[in-house]
Order: sequence, then C-alpha cells, then structure tokens
Amino acid sequence: MPTFALNAMKLAGMAAAVPMKRTKVVGDIPDLGKVIASTGVKARHIAPADVCTSDLCAAAAERILARLGWYKDSVDLLIFVTQTPDYQLPATACALHGRLGLAKSCAAFDVNLGCSGYVYGLAMAGAHLQAGAAKRVLLLVGDTISKVVSPADRSVAYLFGDAGTATALERTDGAVPAYFVTGTDGAGAAHLQIPAGQFRVPSTEVTRATLAREGGNQRSDEQLYMNGPEIFSFTLREVPGMINAALTAASWGMDEPDAYVFHQANRYMIDYLVKRMKLPADSVVLQLENFGNTSSASIPLTICAGLSERLARGPARLVLAGFGVGYSWATVALTVDRPLIEPVIEFARS
Amino acid sequence: MTKTQFYGLLDELLENDPGMLTGDAVLASLPRWDSLAVIGFIALLDQHFGVSVPAVKIAECRTVDDLAALVGDKLSG
Repeated sequence: MPTFALNAMKLAGMAAAVPMKRTKVVGDIPDLGKVIASTGVKARHIAPADVCTSDLCAAAAERILARLGWYKDSVDLLIFVTQTPDYQLPATACALHGRLGLAKSCAAFDVNLGCSGYVYGLAMAGAHLQAGAAKRVLLLVGDTISKVVSPADRSVAYLFGDAGTATALERTDGAVPAYFVTGTDGAGAAHLQIPAGQFRVPSTEVTRATLAREGGNQRSDEQLYMNGPEIFSFTLREVPGMINAALTAASWGMDEPDAYVFHQANRYMIDYLVKRMKLPADSVVLQLENFGNTSSASIPLTICAGLSERLARGPARLVLAGFGVGYSWATVALTVDRPLIEPVIEFARS
Repeated sequence: MTKTQFYGLLDELLENDPGMLTGDAVLASLPRWDSLAVIGFIALLDQHFGVSVPAVKIAECRTVDDLAALVGDKLSG
C-alpha cells in the first residue's frame, strides 16, 4: 500500500452541521430491533428537500472561519468532497467559492469520494500545503445520502444520516508529520453504487421505477444499492492491514493513539474490527447512535461530536480511517495540537 | 473443529436451540438466514478459521453443508 508523510500541515479547526430535523429510526418491520442493534443507529438528521450538502458545508465553513478569525481572502484552496453535489456541472466547489466570497486567487475543486473521502481530502490539502501551492485550505466534506436511499430497502433505509463539515488547515513549517496510507480496489465498485441516472446508464422510466429486489427490498436503479456482506468482507480484508501500516509508518504502538476514529459505517463492523485487531476499545470513538452513517462526513462529524473536550486538553495522536465505496480506503496517523473544535451546528434555512 | 461443532456455531448465530441445524438444512428455508446473518457468518469464519470468504461464495451456497465446505479440510467428522 502507498504510504507517505506530509509535514507542513496544521489542523487549525473544525466545524460540522447537520439538518435540524432529527428522525428516530422507526419502521414497520418485525426485526427492527435486530437491525438497530447491528447498525447502532437510533436516530439521524435528515435533510429536507431544499437543503443540500453544500448548505451544510457552507454553514460549517462560515462558523469555523469566523471563530478562527480567518479573513476570507486568506484561503488559497477550497476542496469539496462529496457524492451528493448541487449540480452535474459546475463543480459545487466553485459555487461554494462564490457563496462564501473567497478570493479569485483561491483554487477550488470537487472530489467524488465517500467513506474514504475525508482522509483523501486531508492528503490533498497536506500535499498542496507542503508544495507551497496554498497557505490556508478549507476542506469541506459532506453528504446527504438520505436523498438517494429507498425507504423500502432495509439494507440502507435505517442506516444513513446527513451532514456537512468544514476543516481549516494551514501551512506550518516543521509540523509533526502526518502519515498516510491509501488504496483502491475497483473490483468492488458494483457492490456499493447508484447504478443508473448518469452517463453510463442514463435516466429513463425504467431506471426510475421502484422494483422488487433481494430479501424483499424495493428500490430503483437510481437509488443506492449496498451489498452489506460484500462490504463487510472487503473491510476485514483491507482495513486491519491499512491501520497497521499507518501505525508502523508513525512508529506508534497500538496503545499510543489517543483516539481512533473510523468511518462510522455501522456498529457491528467497527466492534468486530476493534475485537479482531485487539485495539484499545476505550480509544475508539463512536457517534453512530444519534447521527447514523453520514458517509464522507462521518470522521469529522465524530470528532466534533465526540472529541472536542479531549482535543482542547492538549496535543493528541489520532488515527483516522476511512473505507468503503469504490472500494476506496485511506488512513492517516495525525498529531494535532489543540485545534478549535466547534459544537455540532443544527442547520435550518432561515 | 468437528462438523457438529460447526453446526452449533451456526445455531448460535441464528439464535436457534442447540442441535437444531443439520447439514442438509436448506438456507433459503431458514427465516433468520438474512443479510445480517451472512455478515455474522463472515465474522464467524474469520474468527474461528482465519479465512476470508467473498460474500458471493456464500450466496452460492444452498445448504448448511455447502457453508461447511467453504472451510474445507478445517472440519473433521
């Protein structure tokens, strides 16, 4: 697996926003209790039709810029990581650049990644900072996956929530290196995908029709398909090695990180990984219960919701691991020094 | 591990009374054999046999003994 170190990146602050509307996990199925026990999700925040991922990320961005006192014209790069953009074109990053009032000298681009996307975003930000291409980066990461989920497909209907996050990063010479491990297995692409509605399989009446599927589920080809067993199998195959590689690169023992923050896929998967890898369970941060699986946003949202007190106390060693759709995976062993972590914002259109 | 012990692990996974499953039981006829059970079975194979089996191989299995065959010579009796 490719492993690399970036040593000019400082994590200055983070904010996260979720839609105001909180929805408890309820459903008319006999084994809902078993599903909840497996996913660990009791409630989610679901975006209404007029709230997009970019709105949540913009709210988080405005908050963190204001709290850090960063002038908007000091941001050199905006990276927007999402699988639920506003438009097919232009890049939503460009639209966000305009809404946030950033300078014309600021670069902006979208990245289409999900579960692994936050760590890839950190790697891209860190590489730009190290190369001297930017001194300040705004990394906006989020998804509103609820919009592409069939309520009649129980493999996904009770799992996903919506969120948007903003991470402020700046160049610092001589920072403690961040050690990244990245990887991809495109053979898994079909196991977690929306099969139709873009250019490969354009939208038609047929692709929009809700059809009966495996296990009594119902969905259209323009809604999210997830093969849970295949994803679990992939995770066991790739994630332990990825995390061990990051720990080795950073010369950290398994007990040394102050916190492990995994992509919040589902509770069963994370619990099993922790048990199998013999990780110290009290260092593993879980925030599934109230937010669900928020796709690309899950790692920064979990940090904002569950780690702010710890991070305020002093320097901390973090292992952040994203894995899933693609298949794509990335881990970083990251040292942070009291970044400004904002409480989670509950967003509603005013 | 014997085949009987393997059946016992499956009974536990599916929350059956001990000794309920037999090798010729058809998976499609077991009400608790759903996608969550398949995930649990993948974990079971990983934990007890150290093998990683693609989910597609499990989907091809028709009976409990087809599942047992996935771990090949790691079962006796």
